[in-house]
Amino acid sequence: MKLRLPYAAAALACVFALAGCGKKEEEATKAPVSQPAATPINPATAGIVSGSVKLDGAAPKAARFKTDADAYCQKLHASAPLVSEEVVTGEDGSLANVIVYVKTGLENRTFETPKDAVVLDQNGCQYKPHVVALMANQSIDITNSDDTTHNIHPTPKNNRDWNKSQGPKAAKITDAFAREEVAIPVKCNVHSWMKSYVAVFKHPYFQVTTTNGSFQLKNLPPGDYTIEAWHEKYGVTEQKVTVGPKETKKIDFVFKAS
Amino acid sequence: MPEVQSDDPILKQSYANAILVSSFLLVLTLAWALYQEMFGLRPWRFYQTRFVAAYSKYLEGQKPKQKAAEEAIVKSPEYKSLMERIEAAQKAAESRAQEIRSELAYVDRRNSALADTFMTERARIAALVYQTEISSSESSRKSRKADVDEARNTPLVLDLPTRDGKTERKTLTFPQLEAEFTGLKDRKATLTGEQARLSNGIRDLQQQAKAYFEDRMVGLTVSQLGSLQTAAKKLDPVIRQINVGSAGLVDRCQSCHVAMDPKVVPANLVLTKADLGMAKSGDAPFSSHPNPELLKIHDPDKFGCSGCHGGNGRATNSVENAHGRYEHWLWPLYYKENVEAGCQSCHAADMVIEQATVLNRGKELYRIKGCIGCHRYEGFDNEGEQLLSARQTIRTLEQQKKDLELNVPRVIAEADHAADNTTAQSLYQKANDMRVTTSNIDARIEQLDHRNASLMREEKKIGPSLKEARMKLRKEWIPYWIEHTHEFRPTTKMPQFRLTKDEVQALAAFVWQNALTGPVPAKQSPGNAEKGKQFVETRGCLACHAMGEGANAVGGTFAANLSRVGEKDNFDYLVRWVRNPRERTRPYDPIARVDLGPEDYSKFNKPFVFDLDHDRSPDGKHLLQVQLPTVMPNLRLTIEESRDIASYLITLRHAGASYPPAEFMDDAKLKDKGRALVKNYGCASCHELSGLEEEGRIGTELTTEGSKPIERLDFALLTEEAKRGEDPDGKKSPRGSWYDQKGFFEAKLKQTNVFDKGRLTAQLKMPQPGMELPDRTALVTFLLGSVDQQLPQEYIYKPGDARHDIQEGWWVVTKYNCMGCHNVRIGQQSVLSGLPQYQGDTKDKLPPQLIGEGARVDPAWLAKFLENPSLSTTDTNRNGVRSYLAVRMPTFSFSDGEVQKIVRFFAALGSQSMPYMPPKLEPLTDAERTMARDLFTHPAAPCLKCHATGVPAHDASASAPNFLLTRERLKPAWSYRWILDPSRIAPGTAMPSGLFRKEGDVWVFNGQLPASFKGYTKDQADLLIRYLFQLTPEEQRMLVGRSPAPGGKPAGQ
Repeated sequence: MKLRLPYAAAALACVFALAGCGKKEEEATKAPVSQPAATPINPATAGIVSGSVKLDGAAPKAARFKTDADAYCQKLHASAPLVSEEVVTGEDGSLANVIVYVKTGLENRTFETPKDAVVLDQNGCQYKPHVVALMANQSIDITNSDDTTHNIHPTPKNNRDWNKSQGPKAAKITDAFAREEVAIPVKCNVHSWMKSYVAVFKHPYFQVTTTNGSFQLKNLPPGDYTIEAWHEKYGVTEQKVTVGPKETKKIDFVFKAS
Repeated sequence: MPEVQSDDPILKQSYANAILVSSFLLVLTLAWALYQEMFGLRPWRFYQTRFVAAYSKYLEGQKPKQKAAEEAIVKSPEYKSLMERIEAAQKAAESRAQEIRSELAYVDRRNSALADTFMTERARIAALVYQTEISSSESSRKSRKADVDEARNTPLVLDLPTRDGKTERKTLTFPQLEAEFTGLKDRKATLTGEQARLSNGIRDLQQQAKAYFEDRMVGLTVSQLGSLQTAAKKLDPVIRQINVGSAGLVDRCQSCHVAMDPKVVPANLVLTKADLGMAKSGDAPFSSHPNPELLKIHDPDKFGCSGCHGGNGRATNSVENAHGRYEHWLWPLYYKENVEAGCQSCHAADMVIEQATVLNRGKELYRIKGCIGCHRYEGFDNEGEQLLSARQTIRTLEQQKKDLELNVPRVIAEADHAADNTTAQSLYQKANDMRVTTSNIDARIEQLDHRNASLMREEKKIGPSLKEARMKLRKEWIPYWIEHTHEFRPTTKMPQFRLTKDEVQALAAFVWQNALTGPVPAKQSPGNAEKGKQFVETRGCLACHAMGEGANAVGGTFAANLSRVGEKDNFDYLVRWVRNPRERTRPYDPIARVDLGPEDYSKFNKPFVFDLDHDRSPDGKHLLQVQLPTVMPNLRLTIEESRDIASYLITLRHAGASYPPAEFMDDAKLKDKGRALVKNYGCASCHELSGLEEEGRIGTELTTEGSKPIERLDFALLTEEAKRGEDPDGKKSPRGSWYDQKGFFEAKLKQTNVFDKGRLTAQLKMPQPGMELPDRTALVTFLLGSVDQQLPQEYIYKPGDARHDIQEGWWVVTKYNCMGCHNVRIGQQSVLSGLPQYQGDTKDKLPPQLIGEGARVDPAWLAKFLENPSLSTTDTNRNGVRSYLAVRMPTFSFSDGEVQKIVRFFAALGSQSMPYMPPKLEPLTDAERTMARDLFTHPAAPCLKCHATGVPAHDASASAPNFLLTRERLKPAWSYRWILDPSRIAPGTAMPSGLFRKEGDVWVFNGQLPASFKGYTKDQADLLIRYLFQLTPEEQRMLVGRSPAPGGKPAGQ
């Protein structure tokens, strides 16, 4: 019974798509068997929200980490000390490691979980990348490229918590997070400076900025959305947008350096 | 002509109408009586009919869902494969089984064909042999022997069936026949054995399939539903009752609450209102028990229903009667919000009962809100009573000892002059026994003396000591506080008294003038308030105290909200208090009833020093009260830290707060009036006051208040309103008449002087406790449960085993609010764990959770730790075990008795037997020691990166305890479980899981192994544990020196 409604909706949407442009009708009806059918999105009307994230003010000087608790890490960073990735900026104050995502507006839709795993690597006694975003139930592969033991300890609020040890260059640990949460701090108890954040979403509309600070949320069905930007130090800020058919909306986020 | 009597009643009058009416009435009455007899007095008949309808409908409705669930299991590949295996096994076994069956039949046929002949022959030969043996002469023996031989060799002709169903004629001698017979017997045994083996294999598989189905089937199967339906249809409307003879309970509740009868609704089927289509109906007569777990430990066949719920179990004629909700029934059915009151009847000795959160809260409130100050309650706060009884016992024992000592010389003298040696020996023995007895008495007295000292430590007061009022408080603030208690601090445990202005002034003046004047606390220089704030937020103060007012309050409610402390406290005193809250201005001598000062000490040329190590009066005679009677522990802070904290606290005040000058505080004339008021209102019940230390409680004892007859609860002029169901404010009461215990308690707690209405004199003096509705409900629940017990003694929960230790331990654990910092039992969350600063990745900064603590630590170590949590006599400004935590395990200065109770409590909670005998661990071989060292310092096993080692530079970043504590502190079995999967013991711990993996029967290290492990087949986790339990400081220093080498190469050789 539960399955029928989305199918009906899918069929209905297909009819509209057929009437509207008369192509690609076949793709919309293909739904995965194992999970609730994804609500189809018509690429012909889908819009884009893009923009950039900046930091207003000077970025604080990155803290240096003392790595002498582990001889391996210390040796690695003997010449260039390891520094905090809490605030990373590019040119003109473009802010990296910000997660920009759709906060509201997609409640009635379901999405397919990507088959590909997201990788979180422990490399040079650091998490790479520093901020990871993925979908609920999407696999996350945790790898250890270091010649020392790490432990991976996510400390979620709404997800199941776990803490596993991973030896030097040991086999990857594959896990997944079942519930939406922005963002789960992940730490290594052995190396107290190591910290990462994993954000989990029910939908695929999210992006982690790099040092150019830009983001682009593509293939958004027309509608009203709240877009939120999250930063580990500066918290969250949100904006409301209405995306019309085939429209590209530009919005910029600015965090105040404090 | 006959005279016609015109007024003859026979002619003129008829009773026909009257008779008609009467008979009509009679018929009506009869009908009414019959109706009453059949239905009116038996309302349960309707209930049962209604139930059957609803229940049948429910069962029918369940069928499709359950059928689908059943099919899903049956169609699952695992089940299918099991079924296939059964079928294959049956098939495979079938041909052989057939063979066996026919072979068995053949063996039986053949056996029965020769059995008779064989038996007869055997008997005949046995008789001949007997004859031989009893023959007297050699010759007759010979001839008999020849007979035997002949008999054995005579051929016997037998018709025996063959396998193919025919008959063969065989000629056999007896030995041949015997061989044939035993052969057949053996064959049969072999065949039957094989037959059993064949069917056993199939039966095992069938059982597997059945278990597979049952493990996965949630709820009932369709056939089970069907048989329940059939049973429901046949249900007779009868009175269903539980009769518990030993407890005098006859409960007919199931006559209406049919679903509670396990014969009708199986115990594993939980029916809710919604299930029965009655979600919207106000009552829920047909739901099954909402908590089946409770019924498992309280079997209704033993406890009945009314044993826990109250009500009149015998009554069946109306709901009101059955529920006992009429004026003279002393145990009415508890309302839903008070239902846990029922637990109290048997669990009065338990401070904490699993699953009874409301009642637990009520008991907690009774203690922390200070009800116990005025109202005695059996089991609560009885250190004072115990002191008295201990002193009494000592006196009795001393008398006994004296008597014995007098008797010993007499017995010896008697022995000296005894007539014979035997008598003398037994008399000397007797004298010796008596002397040994006196020595035993000494030991007991010593223990009791010790207990007395303990009790003096254990005795606490609810409120602060007012002997210190002058040292501590701002003078003008005192009268303001007495008058505006709840305005100043709405969450305080001090109740609001109803006093006139004059009374307030007299009380305040008395407190002020009666307080100690010195020696005053040392003058302190101001500290760093910013740092002090951090200390307050990280040291653990918030486990008991809250900061911020109203909705902004953050922290525990066990102790005072500190938001406005700066308005009332003296800085110097506050520093002293933060440093050591138990420090008194003067020690108190309970025998002489005086507070001793330096002048008393100098009389004996002694320094004015008093603490737990110097607790005798200067004349050495009496044990002194050297601590303030507060439960607040000592956080072992430095004087600088105490100054910082006090400097912060002193800033906590409302902007512009000011208090009018109070010259009357020094008015000596007010003192006597004040003292009378203090006695009248029972202030000394909660506060220590000079000269009033021995004041008794002023209120009613409440141990059995819940079953007090209603006439003895004084509703005063509200009696009629209560009966009519009119609230004191004139509105209609939502539950109608409130003329019962519940109504009385609720009204009184809401407004303690409510029954003063219309009263002109003798106003009620109980102060207003200031509690919100949920807390009042909790207290009312507790009071309603406080009944004069009707159940027999064996029903009262008085466990003698480890559960008793749990029961006793809870009193201590809740007294000192251990649960503010620690999770003590499964399902409970500490206050600290709910604070914002301990969310997310800072969770591992929390104090350790203590679930399973008894299994973790050696009880002897725990006792030592509780006495001095710094585990050091010199370096006390730290945690002994978790030196890396900012939050501090304080020193509680527990009495020995309390330490013992806590230790036993944890042992019992962790299912550990006492006393603890540390197991002997297999010693390490030299090779094993090398291996353990290698593993320990291996880059893949970073034990020493997190665990402290005693090297200060390393320990600055440590996040786990030092391994050197292992041997004395931990239990090997726990440690083994811990390193295999720590998250199973303490979810969220910093210690990672997956360090070991199972290979065959042993656990091996989950990572690259040092070379020395080659060929080692034993359990590696066990190896590590054995190594840890023999770790010495020298060994650890050596390990630290061998810290993991970079590059993944194993360290060491």
